[in-house]
Amino acid sequence: MEVLRLAVSATQRGKLISAGYTSLSSLSSLSPSDLARDLQISESEASEILKAASHCGRLDNSDGSHAIVTGAQTAWDMFHEEDLSRCITTSCADLDNILGGGINCKEVTEIGGVPGIGKTQLGIQLAVNVQIPVDCGGLGGKAIYIDTEGSFMVERALQIAEACVEDVLEYRSLRKNFQACQVQMQPKDFLNNILYFRICSYTEQIAVINYLEKFISEHKDVKIIIIDSVTFHFRQDFEDMALRTRLLSGIALKLMKLSKKYSLAVVLLNQVTTKYSDGSFHLTLALGDSWSHACTNRVILYWNGNERYAYIDKSPSLRSASAPYSVTGKGIRDSASNYKRIKMM
Amino acid sequence: MFPNPHSQNKQTSLSLCVYLMRPENLLKQQEEALTTQKCSVGCPVLDRFLRGGIPCNSITELVSESGCGKTQFSLQLLLSAQLPLSLGGLSSSSLYLHSEFPFPLRRLQQLSHSFRSSHPTLFSSHDPCDSIFLHPLHSAHQLLDLLHNKIDSLLSNPPPNTQLPIKLIVIDSIAALFRSEFDNNPSDLKRRSSLFFNISTKLKSYANRFGLAVVVTNQVVDFVGSSDGLNGLRVGNLACLYSSGRRICPALGLSWANCVNSRLFLSRNEEVLGKETGLVDDDGFVQRRTKRQIHVVFAPHLPESSCEFVIVREGVFGLER
Repeated sequence: MEVLRLAVSATQRGKLISAGYTSLSSLSSLSPSDLARDLQISESEASEILKAASHCGRLDNSDGSHAIVTGAQTAWDMFHEEDLSRCITTSCADLDNILGGGINCKEVTEIGGVPGIGKTQLGIQLAVNVQIPVDCGGLGGKAIYIDTEGSFMVERALQIAEACVEDVLEYRSLRKNFQACQVQMQPKDFLNNILYFRICSYTEQIAVINYLEKFISEHKDVKIIIIDSVTFHFRQDFEDMALRTRLLSGIALKLMKLSKKYSLAVVLLNQVTTKYSDGSFHLTLALGDSWSHACTNRVILYWNGNERYAYIDKSPSLRSASAPYSVTGKGIRDSASNYKRIKMM
Repeated sequence: MFPNPHSQNKQTSLSLCVYLMRPENLLKQQEEALTTQKCSVGCPVLDRFLRGGIPCNSITELVSESGCGKTQFSLQLLLSAQLPLSLGGLSSSSLYLHSEFPFPLRRLQQLSHSFRSSHPTLFSSHDPCDSIFLHPLHSAHQLLDLLHNKIDSLLSNPPPNTQLPIKLIVIDSIAALFRSEFDNNPSDLKRRSSLFFNISTKLKSYANRFGLAVVVTNQVVDFVGSSDGLNGLRVGNLACLYSSGRRICPALGLSWANCVNSRLFLSRNEEVLGKETGLVDDDGFVQRRTKRQIHVVFAPHLPESSCEFVIVREGVFGLER
């Protein structure tokens, strides 16, 4: 762990490690106030740590021996970082379970399903949940919501935010952590922290995604990007399907890079379509075969009888599994029938 | 905080947030009420059911077999859109694109009459029908042409002889445009779905730019075959849709379902009154009545729910449970 080499006090080092700052690179893009908040120390103390880190970083670079592998990481370091990188809860325990704790930061997750299955609901839920404060196990970040379909409804987001505030207050009162309660949480603040872009054509979509890099470098507290849906504008008159594939893979690469660089989660919502092959129609996620390689994880939402289910279709680290969830007035929650089952036991 | 999109953004078709590369403020217009602007459907019970009415900035689809009240609903909407904001309307005129002929002019007059008498002060001097613009549609390409070339100027300049800008577009029905022209083979279906997305994109972008409420009506097809596999694919809250005792599904298939933001389903079923008691009336006939219901199939802002309604001379009205 690189922080062990920093010229800071042992308590500071301990705080850094427990907050997840193990490498110099993780400190390089931080502002003192961010660090102060994460470690709960004064801002001047934080800026001293950052100074020490940048000094240490310079030494490393001038050293020369590391030069050839600058930017490279050992698998061991990556493993540790992965351990520390946090998840955004979906508010449904079963769904979190199969996702390995929730939607992973640093990864691009694609979620697809038929109209009305709850894609937008899940998107809004994540945009709210990313803001759950750090002391309640959240990320305390902001969300970028790129709406291509116009299904984002302010009142629905407010409803979900209200339920989330209730949950947070309940969590805090359970832990009797009244000191942290001083920060008042208003559902309206949640809306303020959803940075909303309404997109009306694929040119705009590409423009916004190109612009995100700059935007996020100015808004480092963004922890999730949601595109609802990545598909919509790419399903009309593309004569040149090869061009479409190139544009889409360009988008995917940029988002992948952003998610790694700023350790934020990217969630792409996708539609389903019928595919004609071998003389019959099948159901599949839209945008074709080459797109299916573009995302790290792929989750499919579907109806199973009267229940909504999510299925991990593709993931490098998660096993394929499915779990029920439900869409309630409060947002995404555990499946009702499952809840009953637990209660009965 | 933001310049008025109507003055700033007339020439460019870029949406404002992209134009400025700045996220929209979700709290902007909603100082007092944090909701999307809605257009009343002209009945307090139905408005409550729909949480205020038909939402602006999105496409709402009404789907039902013929004779269930799609057109009644739309006509009533054309009138209530003219109500001032304080009464749940949009204080706007409306554009009605109809592909089913003839246009039910007499019914509109009838509705307008009762509408006028229930708001005597508002419409003392002018006829609400003056603020309704009609345009016939004959093909999907004509609709696309209209959306690409003509509608822009109509929306940006309030039409003559009315002060109200157009804030409501009703397309009755979208299905009729597509039912004859396309075959049931892969290449035609692909062409068709590309057209869907084209039309929907255009409608949504106008809805967003001008704050329009867009309503499209859709027909149904009978459900044939087994319910497993693709055929019985469930879309939305209801596992299967029933109307007039038959299982039906919305026309135009899955790709069109991806093009609308909300889908409402109007059903009609015969109900035998007093079935349990075996009551018959004096003449020995079993009393029947038509039970009409509106269901939320999917909508980003509405829970799974349904509401019974009746169609009477004065219009469409919801029944309180």
